[in-house]
Amino acid sequence: MGYLGQQLVNGLTLGGIYALIALGYSLVYGVLQILNFAHGDVYMVGAFIGYFVEIALGGPSHTKVPVPVMIFIMFAVSMIGTGLLGIVIERFAYRPLRKSSRIAPLISALGVSILLQNAALLLFSANIRTYDTSSFIPSTAGFSIGSVNIDSVRFAVLILAMLLMFTLSKWVNKTQVGRAMRAIAVDRDAAVMMGIDIDRVIRWTFFVGAALAGAAGVMNGLLLRGVSNGMGFIPGLKGFTAAVIGGIGSIPGAMAGGLLLGVVESLTQGYLSTNFSDFYTFILLIAVMLLRPNGLFGKKAIVKA
Amino acid sequence: MSEDTSKLGIGTDEWVAQHEKRLQRRSGALGIVDLLNQRVSNKVRYSALGVAAIVFGLFVHNLYLLRIASNLGVFLMMTLGINIVMGFAGLLDLGFVAFYGFGAYAYALTSSSQLNQHWPTYLSVPAIVIATAFLGYLVSLPSRRLFGDYLAIVTLFFGQIFIQLVLSSDSITFPGHTDSTDITGGSNGIPGLDPFKLFGRAFKSTSDYYWLLLIVITLLLIAVVRVNRTRVGRAWRTVREDPLASQSMGIKVNNLKTLAFVVGAAIAGLAGAIFAGIQSAVFINGFDIPLLTLIYAAVILGGSGSIPGSIIGAFVMSVLPEILRVQNYSEFLFLAVLVITIGVIGKNWKKLAINIVSLIAIGYFVKALFSLSHMTTTPTKTWAIAPVSKALQYWLVLPANRIVWGNMAFIALVALVAYYSIAHEKIKPWLLPIIAYIAIFVWEDRLVADASTTRQLIIGAMLVVMMIVRPQGFLGKTRVEVL
Amino acid sequence: MLELKKLSMQFGALKSLSELDLTVNKGEIVSVIGPNGAGKTTLFNVVTGIYTPTSGEVLLDGKSIAGKDPADVNRLGIARTFQNVRLFLNMSVIENVMAATYANTKSNIFSSALGLPGARREEKAVRERAEELLNFFGSRLTGYRWEQPAYSLSYANRRRLEIARALATNPKVLLLDEPAAGMNPKETQEITDVIGRLRAEKDLTILVIEHDMHVVEGISDRVIALDHGVKIAEGNFDSVATHPDVVEAYLGKGSADRK
Repeated sequence: MGYLGQQLVNGLTLGGIYALIALGYSLVYGVLQILNFAHGDVYMVGAFIGYFVEIALGGPSHTKVPVPVMIFIMFAVSMIGTGLLGIVIERFAYRPLRKSSRIAPLISALGVSILLQNAALLLFSANIRTYDTSSFIPSTAGFSIGSVNIDSVRFAVLILAMLLMFTLSKWVNKTQVGRAMRAIAVDRDAAVMMGIDIDRVIRWTFFVGAALAGAAGVMNGLLLRGVSNGMGFIPGLKGFTAAVIGGIGSIPGAMAGGLLLGVVESLTQGYLSTNFSDFYTFILLIAVMLLRPNGLFGKKAIVKA
Repeated sequence: MSEDTSKLGIGTDEWVAQHEKRLQRRSGALGIVDLLNQRVSNKVRYSALGVAAIVFGLFVHNLYLLRIASNLGVFLMMTLGINIVMGFAGLLDLGFVAFYGFGAYAYALTSSSQLNQHWPTYLSVPAIVIATAFLGYLVSLPSRRLFGDYLAIVTLFFGQIFIQLVLSSDSITFPGHTDSTDITGGSNGIPGLDPFKLFGRAFKSTSDYYWLLLIVITLLLIAVVRVNRTRVGRAWRTVREDPLASQSMGIKVNNLKTLAFVVGAAIAGLAGAIFAGIQSAVFINGFDIPLLTLIYAAVILGGSGSIPGSIIGAFVMSVLPEILRVQNYSEFLFLAVLVITIGVIGKNWKKLAINIVSLIAIGYFVKALFSLSHMTTTPTKTWAIAPVSKALQYWLVLPANRIVWGNMAFIALVALVAYYSIAHEKIKPWLLPIIAYIAIFVWEDRLVADASTTRQLIIGAMLVVMMIVRPQGFLGKTRVEVL
Repeated sequence: MLELKKLSMQFGALKSLSELDLTVNKGEIVSVIGPNGAGKTTLFNVVTGIYTPTSGEVLLDGKSIAGKDPADVNRLGIARTFQNVRLFLNMSVIENVMAATYANTKSNIFSSALGLPGARREEKAVRERAEELLNFFGSRLTGYRWEQPAYSLSYANRRRLEIARALATNPKVLLLDEPAAGMNPKETQEITDVIGRLRAEKDLTILVIEHDMHVVEGISDRVIALDHGVKIAEGNFDSVATHPDVVEAYLGKGSADRK
């Protein structure tokens, strides 16, 4: 029982990260019907920003500020930085293509992804860095529920991910920009005719989506995983898978898809085989696509003829 | 067609229909090139290419050049394959290199001591082609109902799974056995493959593979050109254009998608097997994303859907990296491209001259400022190795900490190029020489030392710029799309 | 020939078609009229297999075709044009027509690649057939236009090409969705003649959606008026055009009385 609980907690934490990435895909897809391939690399940039903020604040073992403040600054700077990066990517790689074929933005996104990965390689070298979280938060800190041990970093990441998702749903449902965003997703032309400034909404969409990926990048670093230029590829793929499983364009779908994917991955790693866990994720993706092509939360689209 | 234009009365339907063509006609030297280009039929071009390839094979015995040519051949097979899947049928298959890898590994497993299988080539290669085609069929099954983006991601995922399976299949414990078997060699790959044995001879040299590739590509080209202009090719293009209308005309869209996948996979499988034969070893890192992007860049550069485009794209993308490897050539190429770009942007000789002069002036100005500031410099001996940099050393600044300065200049360059694309027309001419100067600085101080990263950066930037400026590629036709 | 029995199509809460009965006899030209949103195009989409009906039957020569794949429906003998003209824009004019012979031809990827005699013969026949079909429209789609991309055609020519493409599938029944939309009076007259000739020369049964009442009057053996997915009138042109329910559907309640 303890083992299962442990795997579930791990899965939910991992799933929270996937869900944050998936949200970025879904938000952008909802508004522009573009698959933002470069999203995984935005996540990578977020992790790097977090790392450099940590170094700037004195490094893992000699922080100049209290630890919670440092973590807060890491998240804030990383989210703002990646958010701005998202806006820049949209402005230069996608906006010129808004009226072109469907395949052009995909290729352009592929190009941006290659650019970001290799720019990072050029600027930061191929060294794998770590946040070294255990030097400022001892790994013994934490608590147990029954026989399930939850360390404090994992717990904080899980709570933070939930908090960000909650804030996002509030934002989408309650603010003017959020409402405009949903309106564009339903019918772009009608939204434009209603006087919605579509460029502004798209900018916001990219900012928010990229900022969430940046946050996910910092969380990944805090969980003691390596930070390197190629780190965004697989999580990007998983995030997209989560978005598709949940029904692309659907915000609750992205959250549920991410959490489900995290749990499935964690359980297959725990019970079946570590080597093939991505394989099971792939099977899950194929299964969902065959059984529910529009995802778990997606609506059936009507073909227009 | 264009010769007849003069005979048509102005204002008749046909005259109006050719109006666009007349507008596009260029004057001066470029116009003559265009005209010559139109006079030469594709048959003549392909034959010329074939003759050049034969002459190359007969007279070039330099092993290095033959290697490059053979790699180009394998690469060309891949671009022709992806051109069918993406260019004709309009499907974005991002798992394409996995089929190539599958072909290579299948050859390795049937022709080495790894599993102690040494199949004759006449058996193994056809079997591999059929097996890869079948794999393509399997992958296409879940994709049949998917739209472009979903298909892209499923196939990308599939490619990743292939890599993981190969990497982790070096210790498989079969049910009923206690000890584990090494099937794929994991990250160590499989060395020591048998050479091809065809036409009664074992392929000992790269030259043998060169001739084999020449035959295979010739046949492949003939087949692809023929299929493209007949029944199946037309049907593929209808699928790309408008699947719904296509279906309503009795065309089984899903079957044609699958067929495109299967044909593409079979070609990739064959290319993989030949590649494995040439290398006489297989390693998994050769079948990953960098190769995929290189192939896509080639097809897109040449023009998706255009067969001559695929050939030219393959040439550029497979020979260019070889050139970039040698600092001497790459520096020269870089400067040439830079000057041409400035020329194209400026549109006339006068502006080009002004830009070059201001570029040179900026260089000496910065150099003067730099020497006044008493900053340490890199000793020219360690830097100026190739002729171009030897010439540049009297003009370009060489700060001591080249990596840091190079990185900062790189960021500045990216920012400036991005700004240039949205800058006001009045500012652009002022910006251009500054950007050119920083580009040279970044190139000499940072990029030259990091050839593989540079290559990827160039490809990435090219994909984005190409999509914005000329999405149809150099030889592709402009496409009209209803959204 | 074509028979719809209690056909219903529902999208969520919206009933696009409800319990529609409709029969088109062999060799007949039947027009479907009705205000926007009456369910006319939905009707075509159900008949051609793009939508699967919520309930009811679609019979072709007495055999059910409801819920079949669009490609299969076409192969059974129903071809159509689209309201918003869906040509293969980046293919040449003649290729558009040649491509539509796909289901009636056999050469596969191998015979084409090898250039086998059978494949060559078939290719030649396909080309001749396409030329013949394009010549059906007089000088409108002939000669130099064959090799031009479809996107270079005028709007009226695009509609003509779409008809030629539909004919290339060898249909028994032809569904035309607003064939005269966007045409000037001269072209409209021409298309009216063309529809008449299609029946006479190609032996077709034709179902037309049309807003232009001159065209409807000129071609129809029978007219069916739809409103909100319900058949409100059926009969010859005059009886339907003056039917009070039809007038009301177009002009609003009370119009018939005022008139």
